Amino acid sequence: MSKPTRKEIHNKICELLKPYNPKNHPIKESSGIMTDLEVDSVAVFDLVMGLEDFYDISIPMELISDIRTVGELSIAVKELIE
Amino acid sequence: MSNVLNNAASSIFDKYAILQSRVDLMMKIGKDALGLKFDDIVSATKGKIDGREILLAGTNNYLGLTFDDDCMKAAKNAVDKHGTGTTGSRVANGSYNEHIQLEKALAEHLKMESCVVFTTGYQTNLAAISGLAGDNDVIFMDADAHACVIDGTRLTSSSTIRFRHNNPEDLDKRLKRQGDISDGHALVVIEGMYSMFGDIAPVDEFVDVTHRHGGYLYIDEAHSYGVFGPTGCGIAEEQGVLDKIDFISGTFSKSLASVGGFCASRHKEFEILRKVMRPYMFTASATPSNICAALMAVEKVKEGHHLRKNLKTRSLQLHSGLSEMGYDICADASPVIAVRRPNEAVAAMEWNWLIENGVYVNLAVPPGTPQSSSLLRISLSAAHTEMDINTILKAFSNLKSNQQELMARMSARLAK
Repeated sequence: MSKPTRKEIHNKICELLKPYNPKNHPIKESSGIMTDLEVDSVAVFDLVMGLEDFYDISIPMELISDIRTVGELSIAVKELIE
Repeated sequence: MSNVLNNAASSIFDKYAILQSRVDLMMKIGKDALGLKFDDIVSATKGKIDGREILLAGTNNYLGLTFDDDCMKAAKNAVDKHGTGTTGSRVANGSYNEHIQLEKALAEHLKMESCVVFTTGYQTNLAAISGLAGDNDVIFMDADAHACVIDGTRLTSSSTIRFRHNNPEDLDKRLKRQGDISDGHALVVIEGMYSMFGDIAPVDEFVDVTHRHGGYLYIDEAHSYGVFGPTGCGIAEEQGVLDKIDFISGTFSKSLASVGGFCASRHKEFEILRKVMRPYMFTASATPSNICAALMAVEKVKEGHHLRKNLKTRSLQLHSGLSEMGYDICADASPVIAVRRPNEAVAAMEWNWLIENGVYVNLAVPPGTPQSSSLLRISLSAAHTEMDINTILKAFSNLKSNQQELMARMSARLAK
């Protein structure tokens, strides 16, 4: 499998965010996951487990605590894949 | 100049604006669920709110020992003999004889080589997890772990990976994915019975997976010590794997009817952690009355078959009664019975209604709950009688039949 692009990772994050975004806030790279999208801290970690399984990577919790936006998350995932 | 003006216009509390609006909503509906005020607590199962008697069904007082004659006598004697406080940490001021006695009693009960007692249950996991996991170690933590486990992982520089709740196969996958941990070890952290849903871990399977990967297994039995197992040691004992557990932690503030906590280990080298665990070293040690009450309660736990039997009977009675009414309960029967509600506002309204109708349960809402659920959480006690359970069931039955009126009342309050 070729390495995914930022866009593909972003789309995957949007897909995994769906169940945690019942108010259907528009998801942009700059969207704050907990602030703009109102995803609670536990749900963020659930979302991360989905990303870990899809890309077969480990995303340590301490890395997540520094991430604020959807764009930052996709950058972190891309770096871990590479 | 504009900066000065901006600073004047903002406040250090602005970051809590969303939280404040949630609290305001809760207060419109009724009482503050995170700051409930009792007029009095008169027994293990009875209290008073707003001048009225209320049945306590949310206190985690699993064995009902807070008003046990022997435990109360032990606490009173301790005050008479040793005073009210210890005024310092065990590292700076030394240990009382009773601190050592309690550590010995717990180590013997759990058949462990070492045991350390702490001032609170929260500090126990904070101290032991951050002390055990160093720079090169990796913590693998169950997804539904309690806040004190999460905070323990934050106090150390080791990496933390979360695995799916109560899922040994998922742990296996994540341990494999991690591969060899250079110059370090895996520390797997689970709980016996989980506090919010009351569901039980397959500890025997976690022992197998963890040890197959060369890791250490840490189990928090805060809600299960005293409640499960032939001698009350917890879920690991119940599943016949107590001797395989590397570290077992617990609290005095549930079955042991006091305040404090412990961590025991089958590794005698665990003793060295007394010299590194900051939440152990830099806080005052538990008071003589807390320690002596817990010491007496350990004896009660060991001989507490009748208490565990009644607790189980009451749990089954409540679980089947609520199930028959069609309530959605989060797990099989256990001393924690969590009823899932559609959302936070409805759960808050119902929680207030239950208090007004003489039954105190816990309102549990995200992010303190798994799956972002809003819960009416009940915790049972061996001190509850069959009649007490009938009272809870009657209240939940009335809650169902008054649903329309209740929702109308909520809409009216929210519209104000």
